[in-house]
Amino acid sequence: MYNTELIFILIPFFIAALLCITVKNRRLIEISSLIASGISLLGSIIVSFRVAYFGVYAPFPFFSVDSLDAVVMLIIAFVGLATTVYSIEYLRQETTKNIIGLSGVSYLSSRVREYFILLNLFMAMMFLAIMVSSPLFAWIFIEATTLSTAFLISFYNKPSAIEGAWKYLIINSIGILLAFFGTLLFFSSTGSLASDGFISWHLLAINATNFNPLIIKVAFIFIFIGYGTKVGFAPMHTWKPDAYSKAPAPIGALFSGALLPVAFAVILKFKMITDIVVGPSFSQNLFIIFGLLSIVIAATIMFVSRNYKRLLAYSSIENAGIIAIGFGFGGLGIFAAMLHMIYHSFLKSALFFLSGNFLLKYNSAKITAIRGALNVVPITAILFLTGFFAITGAPPFGIFFTKIFILSAGIKEHPFIVITVIMLVSIVFIGFLKHAMVMIFEQGDSNIKAEKENIWLLLPPVALIVIALFLSFNIPPFLSILIYNIALHY
Amino acid sequence: MNILFLQFLLQVIFLTIVFLHISKKNFDAIWAYGIQSFAITILLLNSFFETGNISLLFVALLVLIVKVVLAPRFFARLIKKNELIFSVSTYLNIPITLIVIVLLCAIAFSGIFEPLTSIISSNQGLLSLALSTMFLSLFLIINRKSALSQIVGILSLENSIVAFAIFAGLEQSLSLQIGILFDISVWLIIATVFMSMMYTHFGSLDVTDMKKLKD
Repeated sequence: MYNTELIFILIPFFIAALLCITVKNRRLIEISSLIASGISLLGSIIVSFRVAYFGVYAPFPFFSVDSLDAVVMLIIAFVGLATTVYSIEYLRQETTKNIIGLSGVSYLSSRVREYFILLNLFMAMMFLAIMVSSPLFAWIFIEATTLSTAFLISFYNKPSAIEGAWKYLIINSIGILLAFFGTLLFFSSTGSLASDGFISWHLLAINATNFNPLIIKVAFIFIFIGYGTKVGFAPMHTWKPDAYSKAPAPIGALFSGALLPVAFAVILKFKMITDIVVGPSFSQNLFIIFGLLSIVIAATIMFVSRNYKRLLAYSSIENAGIIAIGFGFGGLGIFAAMLHMIYHSFLKSALFFLSGNFLLKYNSAKITAIRGALNVVPITAILFLTGFFAITGAPPFGIFFTKIFILSAGIKEHPFIVITVIMLVSIVFIGFLKHAMVMIFEQGDSNIKAEKENIWLLLPPVALIVIALFLSFNIPPFLSILIYNIALHY
Repeated sequence: MNILFLQFLLQVIFLTIVFLHISKKNFDAIWAYGIQSFAITILLLNSFFETGNISLLFVALLVLIVKVVLAPRFFARLIKKNELIFSVSTYLNIPITLIVIVLLCAIAFSGIFEPLTSIISSNQGLLSLALSTMFLSLFLIINRKSALSQIVGILSLENSIVAFAIFAGLEQSLSLQIGILFDISVWLIIATVFMSMMYTHFGSLDVTDMKKLKD
């Protein structure tokens, strides 16, 4: 049992995926997926404690978990469990409404089976990408997330879903190949280190002072563009609104809440090595440029968005931009950016779940179709409004403080950028508010009657919002240590 | 192997990508990709003969199976099944496409990318050529309207990166190479399935026909 947490996190996902293939009982598939996610959460918490109090955890060759990995593992685990719980009821409702597969919840629809196979594989690949100690293995598993999720985006098998999935597949494949090239360029500087064929993050870091700065600069640009495509930085973001809006709502939550931090973490690992070779200003400037561009594009489009799932996708692009600017400013900005990443993952996932509730009730993702939500789905509406205020940085939510800290970290050296970001964030708030108010308070179609809301569709978003709120006021000591270590090393 | 022969192989890879830009028939594109992948196989075999590293032999064999045999067969079946003899057009016409190709090559051979092309100074010209094949593959993905051409473009980009890696002396362990090849194989299957789905829903593989995301 000793030192086997990483195995315990991974194996249940593969077992659950295997069960989904072989077993025909829907309940068993759901329970196995739930158990896998539950165990991964437990394992992630244990690993995080170990890393916080005993340092880097590397129980096996090829596996290594540092503070950044531990935080991202926690994010994946929490969001993953919430997604699995939500998915079970969400798919049941969709099956009942004949949106997917056969009607009736006791009979297995092949689509439901397919969904849980891919969900479990997606979770396993994200954990693997973050746990492995080699940049090339990380690349392989990030690529594997693209492959496992393409069919989740096209899940509804509609032309628009196929189009969104195709766009996702092509753009991300290009991005991931550029990241591969960047990784190889990093290896070109290692010379004799490459003789055994295995180069770890640690090996790269300790030999970084011998690397060719010019090659590393070019390599980091390729890495940034490559993995930045997965994060969704502008101008590589174009797949994101389409994929998020066409995928089932819980998958959108997992994309925004878990995959974004995974890809971001890989960029940060390369940033750490690049900073050793060429100093921090090079990578920081890249983070600031792409971060600012992402916020500009998101703010502009969010204002005129007509689809609430696309609205959430652009909000993810905006928040990725803010996190990038935090890392660009450095110092306190990094600490705040990490906290921002955590808050964003929880809140955005919650908002995606709530968007799923709207979709189930109104059968449309158009903002104009959602009217009088406060009367029709009151709890969902109130939670959506709460989530909106939280994600846009209204006090007392944590994002308010992280934005303040990030901007204060850069006010001295980059006052123009800080002022621009403040203006853009205000535009985002107004744009989002405009849509949220109309959806929730404006009266609309009286044919849509209020019904009792399903507890299992409310519990996951409530849990995530409560955790985000709790973390806004009280960061547990072990998490503080992890984030402090990240600020110190990245 | 003679350096002139290695140069010839890289030139073959380069020319196949130029051909992919100007070819109109899907079958021709598949042939060009097969030849390109075969050139990569020989380059890997050469690395095996030079280093004696047995893992490179395995990788070469895997490339032969996956990229030279399986991938073209997948595509050929898809073309036959859906009767896609002719590919759809490009965004830019042929003369402008050729001008862009020249410009991209000039950029690859310019001083901008000298840090990359001088990784092994004796291979500078070859690395510049490999870099231009990468740029041309990227341009292929952007310029072609056909989903099949886009997939061939991505696979071609992957071949170009492998060629660059070989001339830059960046051989990796067998497990990693197999991992990457496994990824490419799975990607290939998924992309092929998607193409079938696209054809079913849109009646063509022209990506400009996909306009369902305008809402």
